[in-house]
Amino acid sequence: MRVNVTVNGEQRQADDVWEGESLLFMLRERLGLPGSKNACEQGECGSCTVYLDNVPVCACLVAAGQAQDRSVRTVEGLAEGDQLDPVQEAFVEAGAVQCGFCTPGLVVQAHDLLDRVPNPSDPEIREALAGNLCRCTGYEKILDAVRLAASRR
Amino acid sequence: MIGRPVDRVDGRIKVTGAAPYAADTKIPGVTCGYLVTSTIGRGRLTGMDTAAALASPGVLAVYTPFNPLKLFAYVQEQNDERFPPLQDTEIRFFGQAIGFVVAETWEQARDAAGLVTATYDQQPPVTEFPGRTLQAFEEVEEVVGTQTVGDITFTASYTTPFQHHCAMEPHATVATWNGDHLTVYTVSQGALLVQRRLSETLGVDAAKIHVLSPHVGGGFGGKWGNWAQVPLACAASRALGRPVKAVLTREQVFAMAGHRPRTKQTLAMTCTEDGKLTSIVNDGVTSRGLGGNWSESVANWTLTTYASPNLRVTKTVVPLNLGAATVMRAPGEANGSFALESAMDELAAQLGVDPVELRLRNYATLVPNTGKPWSGKHLDECYRLGAEEFGWSKRPKQVRATADGDWLVGTGMATATYGASRGQASIKVRLHPDGTASVSGTAADLGTGQYTVFAILAADELGIPVTRVRPDLGDSTSPAAANAGGSNSTCTNGPAVQVAAKAVQTELITLATTNPRSPFYGKEVSYRDGSVSSGGLTMSFGTLLTTCDVGGVEAVGTSPRLVDPEHGFRSFGAHFCEVRVHRLTGEPRVTRWLSVCDAGTIVNAKAARSQIQGAVVMGIGQALLEATEVDVSARFTNANLASYLVPVHADIPRIDVRFLDHSDPVISGLGAKGIGELGIVGVAGAIANAVHHATGVRVRDLPITLDKLL
Ligand code: FES
Ligand code: FES
Repeated sequence: MRVNVTVNGEQRQADDVWEGESLLFMLRERLGLPGSKNACEQGECGSCTVYLDNVPVCACLVAAGQAQDRSVRTVEGLAEGDQLDPVQEAFVEAGAVQCGFCTPGLVVQAHDLLDRVPNPSDPEIREALAGNLCRCTGYEKILDAVRLAASRR
Repeated sequence: MIGRPVDRVDGRIKVTGAAPYAADTKIPGVTCGYLVTSTIGRGRLTGMDTAAALASPGVLAVYTPFNPLKLFAYVQEQNDERFPPLQDTEIRFFGQAIGFVVAETWEQARDAAGLVTATYDQQPPVTEFPGRTLQAFEEVEEVVGTQTVGDITFTASYTTPFQHHCAMEPHATVATWNGDHLTVYTVSQGALLVQRRLSETLGVDAAKIHVLSPHVGGGFGGKWGNWAQVPLACAASRALGRPVKAVLTREQVFAMAGHRPRTKQTLAMTCTEDGKLTSIVNDGVTSRGLGGNWSESVANWTLTTYASPNLRVTKTVVPLNLGAATVMRAPGEANGSFALESAMDELAAQLGVDPVELRLRNYATLVPNTGKPWSGKHLDECYRLGAEEFGWSKRPKQVRATADGDWLVGTGMATATYGASRGQASIKVRLHPDGTASVSGTAADLGTGQYTVFAILAADELGIPVTRVRPDLGDSTSPAAANAGGSNSTCTNGPAVQVAAKAVQTELITLATTNPRSPFYGKEVSYRDGSVSSGGLTMSFGTLLTTCDVGGVEAVGTSPRLVDPEHGFRSFGAHFCEVRVHRLTGEPRVTRWLSVCDAGTIVNAKAARSQIQGAVVMGIGQALLEATEVDVSARFTNANLASYLVPVHADIPRIDVRFLDHSDPVISGLGAKGIGELGIVGVAGAIANAVHHATGVRVRDLPITLDKLL
C-alpha cells in the first residue's frame, strides 16, 4: 500500500508498504530517518518515541498505515536548522547523554512533558519519563536536563 | 581542562538522531538476514525443512547446518560462543542459531524464518543450579596461609541469579564485500576484536577486513564477544555477493548474546574478639552456559579486599544448557562483593561493632593475597568522608529502629574496589590546515565518554579548545588502542593520546623549520597553544600548514603496557545508602545514595559522575529487580524489557557521587584509573545491609524482592 504522511513538516510518500509494517520501520527504512531507535519492538522501552499528531507514541506499536494523512515529528525534526531545541541543548549540557540509544525517544518524551507541564516537579518528571528506559546514565542527569530545559523555555 | 566538566563531543549528533549506529547503516542493495533459533534446550538436530521458506517471496537463501556457510573453528577465547554457528547439529541451548534466512527485506526474511521447521533428537536439558550437573569441576583458585580458627566464626551462603546486560541497542551487523575486501559495520566493544574473530572464522587476512563501530548503544560486556549474527552476515554476504544486514531481536539477544552467570558463595570467616579477621574462606560456584566457555571467578574479590592472614577461595563450575555466560559489568566483583559485603555487615552485627569501623579494623594496607603495596589507595578517606557527608554517626544501632509512616527506614554501606591496569595503546594525532586536530585509535565509546576523553587530553596537550579536536574511534584501520573492557580504556588510551599529541608537535616544528615556504625556515622555533613562534612571529598551525601548502602533519604515539610486579592496582570507593521498606507490602525502595570514589585522576568530571551514577543504578537493578528465569525447557522465560525489570526513572533517588581525585602516579603520568565498573561493585551489598537495618530481615539471595521481606 501507499502511505501519505507529513513528517517533520514535509509531505512524504512511502510505496509498497506491507500492511504489518510499523511506523518505526517506515521511518527508519523507507523515509531515511533512522534517528528513532528500535530497542525492543514491542512498546517496552520508549526508544522509538515520536509525535503522532502531537501525541507521543511508541512508533514500533503504530502500524505505518495508521499514519496516513497524519503528521509525525521525530527527533530529527526538533531542531530549527542549526539551532537545537532547548530540550536537546539541555540534554547535552547536563550530560544526560551517554551511549545515546535511548536519547531520541527521551528527548521527544521530555519535549512533550514540558509542552504540557512547563515546570514539572521531580516526581512528575520521573513519572512522565518512566516508560523510557536508559541503561547508561542512571537517570540523574536526565532529570537535570529536564529541569534545565524547563528553566529556559 | 583535565578534571573539569566538559560537554560530550558526541552530544549534538546524539540528541539530533544523527549519530550512526550499526543498524542505521544504509548500503544500496542491502539484503536482510534473520536467525532461526532452536526450540529445544539440548539434543541433536535431525532434519530441517526449508522448502516453504525458500519459496517465500524475496527469499535469497536459507542456511542451516545441513546447508551451511563454511566457518572455521574459533581459535581465540573471546568470552562468547565456543562454536561458530551452523557448523554442527548439536543443540547446546534454547535459542541457539540453527538457520539464517536472507531475503530482500527484513519483513520477508522474518516471515520466511517462521516457515522453517526442525526436527530434533531431544534430551532433557540441564538447568538446575547448583544440583545435577553434566560435569561440575572444582578448582582451588588461591590459598594464602593455613586456615585457622579464631574466637568468633561466621558462615553463610549467598546466591545471585542469571542477569542480562540489556544494553538498549540490540546486536546488529551489516556486511559488504568489495572483491576480497570485507567492510563490516557492527556493534562492538573493540573493532579489533571483531577483525580478529572474523579473520579466523572466515579464513580471510585481517588486513582485508575493515571494521567500523563508531557509535555503540551500550555494551556492559555484552558486546565484547561476537555473537552469531556477525560471522553469518559476513559469510552470507560473501556467498550471495550482496550486502547483508542482520539485527537480533530482543529475545534473541537474551538467548544467545551472553548473560551474567548464576552464582553461589559460601563464606566462612573467623576473627578475634576485637573484630580482626583471622581467616576468610569463600567457596564460589558459578554456572557456565554450554554455548560458551566463560564462567565467573566469583569468590576472588575476597582475595583483595580485607586484610586477613589466611585466605582461601575456590571455584566450582556448573555447566548448564544455556547460551554463553559472559562478562557483565564488573564480572566476578559485582556478585562477589554482594556476598562479602553482606557478610561483613552480618559479622559487624554479631560483634556489636559499627560496619564502617569493622572495615577500618580490617583495612588492607597491603594487597591481602600478595603482601605487595598498592599503587595508591585512599579507601579510608572514602569511608570517612562518606560517613561524614551521609550522616552515618546518627544511624541507630538497632535494626527496625526507624519508621516514617508505613515505611521502615534503614541505612547500609559497602566497599567498592575494582582492578586497574594499563595496557599498550597507539594513537594517531593529525593536525589539519583548517586548524583542527584529529585523534584516532581503534578504541570504542559505548557511551562511556571515550570520544570526549580523547578530545580533552589532546586539546590539553596541544593547547587548543576541545571544540577543535575531532576524535575518531571505532575504526579498525586506526592505530591499535584499548578495547572497551575491564575499565581500562582511559587508563590505557589516555597516556597514548598525550604521547601522540606531543609527538605531532615535533613533526610540526620539523615542517616549520625545513619547509622552504615556511616563514620559520631555518629558524629556532617553539610550539605553544596551537601556534609556532620564533622571535616576534607567531603563527597558528592551521595557517602554517596552509602557508606551506601541506595537507597535514601527523604522528603516532605509543604508550607501553605497564609491567609492574611490585604493586597492586585497584580503584576504590564506598557506598552509603538509605532504603525504605513498606511495612505492609514489603516493597523496598532506595531513597538516598552517596558514593565516594578514589579512582585516580578524573579526566571529565561530568562524564565520570554519570558513569558512576549509571553503575549504581545498574547495581540497584541487580539488588532489587533483575533476574532472568529459566523454565524446564531451558528457555529464558522473561526475555524482554517488560518482564526483565531494569530500573526506570521512577525507581531511582538522587545519586550523589564524590571523587577524591588523588592522582595515581604509579599507574601513569596521567594518574587515571578505571571508573566504568567500580560503581556497581558493593551496591547490592549496601542495599542488602540497609534492608536488614530497616527490617531486621537478612536476604542472602538476589534480587531482594518484596516476597522475601514479608
Ligand atoms: S522500540 Fe518501541 S518501545 Fe521499544
Ligand atoms: S544513554 Fe545509553 S541507554 Fe540511555
